[in-house]
Amino acid sequence: MKKIFQYILLLLVLAFQSSCDKGLSELNENKTSPTAIDPLFQLNNALINLSFPVSTLVYDMGIVQQVISPNGGVLAGANFNQDNRSPLSPLWQAYYRNVIRNTRDVISHTKDLPARSNLMNMGRILQAFSFMVLTDTYGDIPYTEGGLGYSDQLFLPKYDAQQVIYTDIIKELTEASGALDAAQAVEAGDILYGGNIAQWKKFGYSLLLRAGMRLSKADAAKAEATAKAALAGGVILSNADNAILRHDANYLHPIGNTLNGTEGANFFLARPFVDVLKNTADPRLSAIAIRYVGATSGPAQTPAVGTTDPTKQIGMPMGKDNGTAAAAATADGLASYYEYSQVDRRRLTKGTAPAFFVTAAQSQLLLAEARQRGWITAGTVQGYYDAGVRAHMEELATHDANAAVPAAAITTYLTTNPFSPATALQQINTQYWIASFLNGAEAWSNFRRSGFPALSANPYVGDIPAGTFIRRITYPVSEISANTTNVNEAIARQGPDKMDTRVWWDK
Amino acid sequence: MTKFFFRAAMPGFSKALTIILVSFLLPATIWSQTVTGTVSDSRNQPIPQVTVTVKRSGDATFTDATGKFSIRATGTDSLEFTSVGFVSQTIGVRGRDNVTLTLEGGTQSLDAIVVTALGISKESKRLGYATTTVRADELTVNRTPNLMNALQGKVAGVNISGLGTGPAGTSKVRIRGQSSISGQNNPLIVVNGIPLDNTNFGTNPTANGSVGGDNSIAVRGGGNTSDGGDGLTSINPDDIESMTILKGAAAAALYGSRAKDGVIMITTKTRGKGKGIGVAYNLNYTNEQPLDYTDYQYEYGQGENGLRPTTANPTSGQWSFGEKFQPGMTQVLFNNLTVPYEPQRDRIKKFFRNGQNLTNTVTIEAGGEKGGLYISLGNLDSKGIVPNNTFNRKTMNLGFSYNLSDKLSILGNANYSIEKNNNPPNIANQDNSIPTVIYNMSNSMPLDLLNANKYNAAGNEFIYSRFMNRTNPYWVLAEQFQNIRRDRLFGNFSVKYDFFKWLFVQARIGQDFWSRDQDFNNFPTGHASRPAAPAGFVNGVYTQEARRFRETNADFLISSNFELSKFGLNVNVGGNQMRRRSDLNSVQVTDFVVRGLYTVQNGRAKDPLYDLQKRGVNSLYGSAEVSYNNFLFINGTLRNDWFSTLSPENRSILYPSISASYLFSENLKSLTWLNLGKLRLAYGEVGSDTDVPPYADVLFYQINANLIPNPAGAAQPVGGPNGTTVPNANLRPMRISEAEIGVELKMFNNRVGLDLAAYRKITSDQIVQAQISDASGFIDTRINSGQSRNLGVEGLLSLVPVQTANFRWEFTANGSYNITKVLSILTDREGERITVGTHVFNGELRQIVGMEMGQIAGFGYKRDAKGNRVFGANGVPVKSDDLVSFGSALPKWVGGFLNSFNYKGISLSFLVDFKLGNKMLSGTNFNMIREGHHKITLEGRVGGVTGKGVNLAGGENTAVTPVQTYWEHLRSQAIIEPVIYNGGYWKLRQITLGYDFTKYLPGGWPIKGVKLSFVANNVLLLKKWIDNIDPESFGYSSDNLVGMESTGLPTTRGLGLNLNIKF
Repeated sequence: MKKIFQYILLLLVLAFQSSCDKGLSELNENKTSPTAIDPLFQLNNALINLSFPVSTLVYDMGIVQQVISPNGGVLAGANFNQDNRSPLSPLWQAYYRNVIRNTRDVISHTKDLPARSNLMNMGRILQAFSFMVLTDTYGDIPYTEGGLGYSDQLFLPKYDAQQVIYTDIIKELTEASGALDAAQAVEAGDILYGGNIAQWKKFGYSLLLRAGMRLSKADAAKAEATAKAALAGGVILSNADNAILRHDANYLHPIGNTLNGTEGANFFLARPFVDVLKNTADPRLSAIAIRYVGATSGPAQTPAVGTTDPTKQIGMPMGKDNGTAAAAATADGLASYYEYSQVDRRRLTKGTAPAFFVTAAQSQLLLAEARQRGWITAGTVQGYYDAGVRAHMEELATHDANAAVPAAAITTYLTTNPFSPATALQQINTQYWIASFLNGAEAWSNFRRSGFPALSANPYVGDIPAGTFIRRITYPVSEISANTTNVNEAIARQGPDKMDTRVWWDK
Repeated sequence: MTKFFFRAAMPGFSKALTIILVSFLLPATIWSQTVTGTVSDSRNQPIPQVTVTVKRSGDATFTDATGKFSIRATGTDSLEFTSVGFVSQTIGVRGRDNVTLTLEGGTQSLDAIVVTALGISKESKRLGYATTTVRADELTVNRTPNLMNALQGKVAGVNISGLGTGPAGTSKVRIRGQSSISGQNNPLIVVNGIPLDNTNFGTNPTANGSVGGDNSIAVRGGGNTSDGGDGLTSINPDDIESMTILKGAAAAALYGSRAKDGVIMITTKTRGKGKGIGVAYNLNYTNEQPLDYTDYQYEYGQGENGLRPTTANPTSGQWSFGEKFQPGMTQVLFNNLTVPYEPQRDRIKKFFRNGQNLTNTVTIEAGGEKGGLYISLGNLDSKGIVPNNTFNRKTMNLGFSYNLSDKLSILGNANYSIEKNNNPPNIANQDNSIPTVIYNMSNSMPLDLLNANKYNAAGNEFIYSRFMNRTNPYWVLAEQFQNIRRDRLFGNFSVKYDFFKWLFVQARIGQDFWSRDQDFNNFPTGHASRPAAPAGFVNGVYTQEARRFRETNADFLISSNFELSKFGLNVNVGGNQMRRRSDLNSVQVTDFVVRGLYTVQNGRAKDPLYDLQKRGVNSLYGSAEVSYNNFLFINGTLRNDWFSTLSPENRSILYPSISASYLFSENLKSLTWLNLGKLRLAYGEVGSDTDVPPYADVLFYQINANLIPNPAGAAQPVGGPNGTTVPNANLRPMRISEAEIGVELKMFNNRVGLDLAAYRKITSDQIVQAQISDASGFIDTRINSGQSRNLGVEGLLSLVPVQTANFRWEFTANGSYNITKVLSILTDREGERITVGTHVFNGELRQIVGMEMGQIAGFGYKRDAKGNRVFGANGVPVKSDDLVSFGSALPKWVGGFLNSFNYKGISLSFLVDFKLGNKMLSGTNFNMIREGHHKITLEGRVGGVTGKGVNLAGGENTAVTPVQTYWEHLRSQAIIEPVIYNGGYWKLRQITLGYDFTKYLPGGWPIKGVKLSFVANNVLLLKKWIDNIDPESFGYSSDNLVGMESTGLPTTRGLGLNLNIKF
């Protein structure tokens, strides 16, 4: 009986199959969301998300002893030499999810559109930039398979060796910068340069210079060749060509946002940085720093008690937690550690402060080093050096009008702190360190590569051997958890997943 | 309508009137007489062994095998009828000498009628699978605002968790455990045969800012982590006639895809019980007292690094790593306020108020020969324990049934509710979460000072702690608001035509419609943790949302019955078309022109969102039941579903079920002690697309709300892919197959009952939301993969240990054991795993092949080969090399023991329930440890901590670490091992004491019955293993965060009364 019944039902099912199917496909059509947008909007999206995330404040800027926090918990990082895999807004997530995902899309959507070849090459340059910051930070990373979750259905990308990554980044930057063509359509909606091809070329070649110089330890020949090629292509030598993202009230600088939100009172200028500026009577100190005289708490850090007088700035000593920092403050004659100098959150790190990806100062200083090493022949070392220092001092006005350094002060500084060929590399890279202030990733990478400035190791006993510096950031927990096989392969190749393991170009 | 109805109801009405009149005219005789009568069940079958008690005298007797009794009573006496498995009933003799009575069947009735899938009523003996029928009074007398919570511990195999989220919060119901690896496990709620939307707006911090699948909808913009409730809150328990829980796949096979996790079938009242008009009034009041399970250290007070606050600011606010309390010590807080430095106990009692629930319901029932009508008006007023949290629900229910002719009948039901939920509290996060701050406040912070100093001179939040995310709770109370209003109308209308005695056709249409308006300020102006607004504006975020939801179900059913000597055949064929549409209009604005004016117009940057989702399922199904000689029943079903969310190639799925019931007691009549013996066997399959949201096959893009200028100053658009899940166009329906075996016994005049079931459920081809590498550019993807197996037993034992004329003791025990094992994810390689959710602080929930479902994982302590903990050079614990699995977060044992006593009309019952065998990651304790409130942090306050274990070189650890560094280190290292607890408990869940005053009512009064009950809920936590909190105090509604505790509201003890008056 049951069988017969089942046959009847099956017949019914067959009979109704077509009608039961009807209309269902239409129901599953989303009639409200677009399935494609102009890739230029995605380029802009990638640019916005290129702004340095807060993890570079917690780690990079602290490792190079410019900005530190005495607080633990999620803020624990460079100041405690601590391996903290979940600091605020980590670089890995920010770049892969929001930058590379978009640049991959830009490139794949424009590669068959000759009319938009410039857009494609702009995308390649941005992508090379973001991969470079990622590999400098972590070492081996998913590169060839990174950011292809949707287009290529690569969910668990394999990791590439950093050497391979750099080779390809250099190739990408060379090709993309060369292929940018002012005769093709101009992408005027681009928020970096308004589609200006000459400027994009300079941006691309400046990055190429940066990538080349990064290899000075690991592969000097390649470094030399790359630097030569970059200079020949034309790099950013004037602040007018700086690669800047101009934030506004809707798109705030992530670090500026944090320093004007929950963590405003919790980050301080580190003593080594303040001391270097102070000892050289650097006019930039008053542009950068503020000290809230007599402040006993965060809320007491009011503009009324703030002083930007460079002689009154006192940096927080490295490696103090909020207990020992209090003791240090007392020893320094301060009311509390809230009185240590801070980067001025109403000027340089205001929420709408721009982010500087590549600057004339950085390029000039890299050229100074290349010239010093004899890798390039044009110009003089001192010429590049002075131009680099000057460019950075002049650049500060772009951060905030109230941070402008007077022209006379620049000249005075260069006169009183003249370039000396005997200490060329030290001076050049110390200036690069200052010129890369607030671009933690670049300041840290150049410090690792060049060894300058000659900082004393953070005395805090943490997760790296005493007397050493953090040389890389450990992989995110999500990678260990989800992409286990591939990350373990990278660890086996590169060395233990620790902060004292050196990346390839730092060996 | 009314007129026609009254005519219909008149015969019954006049009869009742006659009796009343007669009672008045003839003085009731004071002389006792012999009253005889018959007691039968709703199918007109006599019930033996019913206790008949004269309430006045306590004299009692039993009914015989034919349901007849005889007893001495006066004309004004009241008789009480009680029997195992039936609802007790009291009636007045009112001068009669013969009384006939129908007792309503309960769970264990021999011939109880059970409403099965598609609303088909069947005798329970015919069922080859496990069901539980819940009596209406179990939901109404000792009630909870979300009606399901009243059933905690009462139903075998059903795990109910009320979340600690306020009176309108979600109730999480799991039947026979959890089977879905990363999807939904909610049972289907069916009201009068039509599915009810149970969308839950629970706290789900992982889906911040996105509109999730159909069943979990997150809040945009952060700052709001409150529980917005679920669909069940719309139901007034007074309207419920019966509730049946279908547990297994075979039981639910006819409901198809959405029934994969069982079905809760609610039948609301559609007509009066007897003839005539009945009016009833029910009052329920409970007072909810917040419970404090904290056991803080009160030796060292507020401060950090062993120092108390001695200068004006900063006050540590959230740390208790200060100095040892000594008499006469002071601390300096806020703006230079010097106050005693002493422990502040009882913060929980001081901050939270007693909550209250008051329900008033009036019902009108009318019944006649041709039909009846039921109308109810209900009002629930709740005050939450958070001082500004209130919930009001007004319900109006109309049910009717009428036989238009001998062949044509109609049945309908409409329920309208207005729910207003104001300020459901934020929980389980940092920003704006009152319980998080209260539980983790420094132990010497005076609350009244915190209240008095919530504003600074500029009128903004006073920064009382450098931990600025810990918003001052009094400031949150004063400044943050949320209003939720839901209007809901659901109901259905059906027409049935009996072509022949053996064949009928039924057509039905039902709809669930709601609109939900919600507005809230995610971050009020002046919030300390928010940056200042651009010049000319004040900061803050405000969101306004309107949602509409409509689900319609149209179905038909052809049903036929044949009898052929000893054989019976019942065949049903039907079809259903389901269409659902939900849309959301939302605008979020940031920064305001005028302070305190939270409107869209007043906002600076506006971010509008419109979301529309549609889905549909078409279904055809049929069932056939063959019976033999009333003791063997075999039932088969077949159903085909077509899902809109899946591709045309994958959308159709056909699945069967078969079940058998064998009443072996019918063949063992010689065993007189055996009243009923039944064996059940069932196998069923279900296919489902539940975990596939609409449009999951395509990647969509979005344009950001705000433009950004290019260097030339022209505003430019910004956009990109929408969502972080990689779409998959090739998903197939997931499949569930379940086999069960059960036995049911009734013995010794029904005084011993046993119902056992064992099941094995395989869920395969699951739709898994699998975490992928962030380096892919996405967070996760949906794939068809994975298999899990639920194995379990459940049982119900009912006993009547004592039964005398005046006293009766009933005891029931129910319990279930379920274990779900993950058999495969991508492959069946042991140890393969996915992460399905991440705790708001540290730790995650994983599914691991070869292990129990729901593993809590995170870093533990690194240990050497001998198991010693390893410490670093600085003396802090080193974390394990990899994430460690600490065990399953799903309870293995769930159950309860109910004792009820009845003595001369006084009824007393108490319920003890338990959940055992689950692990829990306590975020609350994690904070207490890192901030120095937990007693574990007392060691080493002076001189530092030297952890017991070895150093990196393998020698004994001798390094000393300051105590605060030691414990804070665990947080930044994400070492969760010290806060993994056994999450089980034993609770005295309910006490109910009732008395029926009916017998005191003079016969002629218009009041026909008065019953008063005193109720207590969540009375006592008998046993727990977790420190400082009630293990029930918080659970996310999401299965992807089960066991991930983060501070919720304190649980409450409810004390109150229920008054029921019948006219």
